[in-house]
Amino acid sequence: MSLNFLCRGFLWLCLGKSTIHPAKRGVPARLVVVRWATGTSGMRLQQAAGRTLLLPITTVALAAGIFAVDTITDSEIAFPAFYTAIVLLSVGFCKKTGVVFVGIGCIALTLLSDLLTVNSGVSEAGVINTAISFLAITTTTFLAIKIQSAEIVAVEAQSQLAHVVRVTALGELAATIAHEVSQPLTAAVINGNACLEWLAAHPPNLDEARRAIGLLVKDAHRASHVLGQVRALTKGSISEKGPLDINKTILATVILIDREIQKSQVSLQTQLSDDVPIVDGDRVQLQQVILNLLLNGIEAIKLVAAGPKDLIVSSAKSDSDDVLISVQDSGAGFALADLDRLFSAFYTTKPGGMGMGLAISRTIIENHRGRIWATPNSPRGAVFQFTLPIGQELIA
Amino acid sequence: MIVSSDKPVVFVVDDDPHIREALDGLIRSLQLNVKTFGTTEEFLNFKRPDTPGCIVLDVRLPGLNGLDFQRDLQKLNIDLPIIFISAHGDVPMSVRAIKAGAIEFLTKPFRHQDLVDAIHVGIERDRCHRQAMATISELQSRFVLLTARERQIMHKVVGGGPNKLIAAELKLSEFTVQVHRSHVMHKMKAKSLVDLVRMADRLQDCAKTG
Repeated sequence: MSLNFLCRGFLWLCLGKSTIHPAKRGVPARLVVVRWATGTSGMRLQQAAGRTLLLPITTVALAAGIFAVDTITDSEIAFPAFYTAIVLLSVGFCKKTGVVFVGIGCIALTLLSDLLTVNSGVSEAGVINTAISFLAITTTTFLAIKIQSAEIVAVEAQSQLAHVVRVTALGELAATIAHEVSQPLTAAVINGNACLEWLAAHPPNLDEARRAIGLLVKDAHRASHVLGQVRALTKGSISEKGPLDINKTILATVILIDREIQKSQVSLQTQLSDDVPIVDGDRVQLQQVILNLLLNGIEAIKLVAAGPKDLIVSSAKSDSDDVLISVQDSGAGFALADLDRLFSAFYTTKPGGMGMGLAISRTIIENHRGRIWATPNSPRGAVFQFTLPIGQELIA
Repeated sequence: MIVSSDKPVVFVVDDDPHIREALDGLIRSLQLNVKTFGTTEEFLNFKRPDTPGCIVLDVRLPGLNGLDFQRDLQKLNIDLPIIFISAHGDVPMSVRAIKAGAIEFLTKPFRHQDLVDAIHVGIERDRCHRQAMATISELQSRFVLLTARERQIMHKVVGGGPNKLIAAELKLSEFTVQVHRSHVMHKMKAKSLVDLVRMADRLQDCAKTG
């Protein structure tokens, strides 16, 4: 009965992880990486850059078109009203101030084309129509900014909610497991004590003592059965393993923390090697690991007031033919004494931390037959690295 | 488990059969009688023997909270001492239980000695309670044998009045008061005046507490 609850709790938790999937998060697909590393990943980066440049280029071309038509046509025709489309498009790739500048630019272009219009006899209708266009552009700019701010708030609220839901679900799951394990343990302790009492009696009651020990053994089995089921659940959750391009996974994860990077003014570099083989893994789970390491890095950097704020995520083929992913930060780092405990559950150095991030990361990586470890960074910070074995079909 | 009338009996109410079985063994090893129940209804339907005892009660019970059951028992005038065991007890819960008269609030997995001690305390408390109740009911049965006049005289006597004064107040002869007084002493089986005063106090306390 209660195990059913346990299973449901676990499934909920597993489903919860889909909230970090970019397509479901509604995060604007803007890839703002402050400083790209030169070298190995050039081609991949061009592709990514190409995608992000498409919208601005289209917008500029459209603005040029509107400007041309507006200049050719009579000023009495309110063609500049189409500049509202430019403002709306700019929301897709500009920040708040950018949108304001686009709005001002549109007004400037309208004025310019009015000046350039050949038969510029100033008519009353022309002035009124230009004024209407200005009004339309200004209003649209204002509304666009409003919408953008609302979207930012909504995304942040959503991610906070997702976090709360996960924490709550994890807490409930832990409480359920604790109860399920505590029952047989309690019974085992009682039976053990009863056995001692029977043996201490004069004369000792061996039959009763034997019976109590028999019950104790059964209780211990029940406790380990509960844990076995929990373990089976975690294993069963890797159902979406498949051939995976780890570089794509890293880039998709970087998008998720875009806002965090901007807010904390961290310089993120991605050094992705082109010759990284395809691995066999669960995309969402590995994304969770990378996300966790990146967010840890950002938080560690935040703790340091001065100095460089560097976060480097890299992928490479290791000497032992594994894929090696490393996340390197220039943050506060960790004490060498803590090295053993870093990956233990419930161990945390953060004020509100649960101490689950690295523990879960290790479970995920080990389920992928990989290794995860930490080393101090030079001159400051930490390096977290993990390996993933190359996909089976590729070896064959 | 067969319940013999001379030995105290511990009642266990817990929905987990394994915990019940374990507690059954442990309590029997303490040379006490034990009777286990999976639900509170089973406990209420069971005809309890007239021996000292206590209840070991799980807080989380199917359909009913152990704390609510504690309140129900009080309403039903079942004043067996209660020892709570709980898998996830919190402070407000334990405070509420102890305030309502529970012996102990133990969190699973609890220390064996804590439970053993609590059981002994519970049984001892019930034994005392039963003795007190038995004394009271014995006194009450003696008291009902007194006539209205005798009760009146008893009231005056324990109030400290000398026979002469009582006789004057009730407009009786001193001799009549002496006769009534000796009847009171005899019927109440009081050995001395002090003994009678003590009995009167007990009866009065009992009448006050209801």
